Amino acid sequence: MNRGNRILLSCVYWAFVLYVFVPLILMILMGFKDSKFIGFPIKSWTLDWYTGVFADAEILSTLGYSAAIAVLATLISVAVGTWIAVLLEGRKFWGRTAIFGMTVLPALVPGIISAIAFRIYARYLGIEPGMGAIVWAHAVHNVPFVVLVVMARLSTLPKSQLEAARDLGADPIIAFLRITLPYLVPAILGASIFCLLLSFDDFVRSFFLGGYEPTLPVLIFAKLKSGMSPEINAIATVALVLTAAIGIWAERFTRRMNKDTKA
Amino acid sequence: MSNEAASRATQDVDAHTGVGRTFWGRLSNWSPYRALMGLVTASPRRQFLILAIFPLLWVLTQHLGPMLQMVRVSLTDAYPVAPGVEQHFTLDNYARFFGDQIFWQPFFRTLIFAGGFTFCTLILTYPVAYFLARHVSRKNQMLFLLLLLIPFWVGEIVRTYAIMILLGNTGALNLVLKTLGLIDRPIPFMYTSFSMGVGIVYLTALYMLLPLYSALEKLPRSYNEAAADLGAGAWTRFRRVTLPLTIEGISSGCTLVFLISTGFYATPVLLGGPSTTTFAETIAGFFHVAGDQWPTGAAFATIMFFAALVLTAVFQKLMNALRKGDTK
Repeated sequence: MNRGNRILLSCVYWAFVLYVFVPLILMILMGFKDSKFIGFPIKSWTLDWYTGVFADAEILSTLGYSAAIAVLATLISVAVGTWIAVLLEGRKFWGRTAIFGMTVLPALVPGIISAIAFRIYARYLGIEPGMGAIVWAHAVHNVPFVVLVVMARLSTLPKSQLEAARDLGADPIIAFLRITLPYLVPAILGASIFCLLLSFDDFVRSFFLGGYEPTLPVLIFAKLKSGMSPEINAIATVALVLTAAIGIWAERFTRRMNKDTKA
Repeated sequence: MSNEAASRATQDVDAHTGVGRTFWGRLSNWSPYRALMGLVTASPRRQFLILAIFPLLWVLTQHLGPMLQMVRVSLTDAYPVAPGVEQHFTLDNYARFFGDQIFWQPFFRTLIFAGGFTFCTLILTYPVAYFLARHVSRKNQMLFLLLLLIPFWVGEIVRTYAIMILLGNTGALNLVLKTLGLIDRPIPFMYTSFSMGVGIVYLTALYMLLPLYSALEKLPRSYNEAAADLGAGAWTRFRRVTLPLTIEGISSGCTLVFLISTGFYATPVLLGGPSTTTFAETIAGFFHVAGDQWPTGAAFATIMFFAALVLTAVFQKLMNALRKGDTK
């Protein structure tokens, strides 16, 4: 009985793996099709779509634009998020629950509502649609994720280390920079990569806060609305390979760092 | 790291000796810095205030501010305000919602779809999470989980496009069905609630899987063994032990997936059709045209936000009551 269950469940797991991978694999394959027409079966293959993508100045500049936005937004989120986490973790004070609630709010607001709330607020603050507005919206939206990851790591920092540093005469800032911050590095790196990916992949905020220059997801969306073509598959595959590679690398890297600091 | 690290961190900044050999030592002996630290650490209260003031300002102005501003705009008759025009308080934007079927129909459709898709995601991912937590050795669990994480690093638009290729009239699914001889002409999967559902479940599955997995992983196996010893069959064990004790995971997974599903904009635009217009598309419409529609869009977004909040709050209350009732 148990054995039968186990086999059945493992079939469900592998079916689920297929469900998550097959659409992406099909999408990648279609980028090598030697025809303008999207659809199966694929009879002849070509690399032309890829050479086209890497020769297209507009696509390459969009890629750089998206990457720049992701990096800037991540730097802001990580700095702000770490500060908030240090305030919230392990401290009891009046209003803590309220501050925590407000901190996670941007992560819980459904995408479209968050996008138009940012759009209205950008207007209110006088931020023109464009790179600055997108960076700002991504940064605010990603802060909660940084706070949660950093708080989790901070809760495992032995209190005795900070106390020892203080006993030896370190002031709060030096104790933070030399004890707390080094201990948080794995969490901060993990959160940074997560923010980079969130920002790079974000569509709805970039779409509503963008100016004339599109980010990569917005460009793919615009091209899709005017019709499917293997060119889009090639662009999407480039984006996919970039994000998946960064994700896998980050996963390995942060796990190694966690292991190192535990030992 | 150990306490040695802590002592290393401070041995060269010892204020009593007043000798600084390293950067940190020199910094803590630098008189402007010491004056500043004197001000900051004058009292624990002041130290706390200095730590707290920036986060407090940030969450108030950046996290809460946009939402409050959205609500404020929804109560006005014109935004952005043109020069020379006076802005008035009004409830017309909310009245407009109830006045026209083309507004409230997508609203209810969105909530019902999101609820349905959430349920589908739960049914689909529960066995997967159960398998990972129960039938995979601890050493392999991370690997098996990582395998599922990889596709979820890929963005919303790219994954939506992948579903378009899967379900199109000349897509892979139709080709397979045709080759198997099950159909003569392609089934039009695309631009229906079915294609939209497949896409949304595809995009949100991970947010369900992770809370379920962590709830199941925390559940001690001995509970099930005890139930088995007492003569409970597999189904009874699942219904009376596993399910009630993972309700917290179910509840947070469903809340997350529901909130995320109601907020999708690009996915319904690309995968849905005229009969599946979601409220996200309705709201977005007010921001594409000239600015004078912004207050209506803001009002509709406010309605949707509060509806989603109330529904998830009620849902969580229900799940809590269920859990308490079951463990009594």
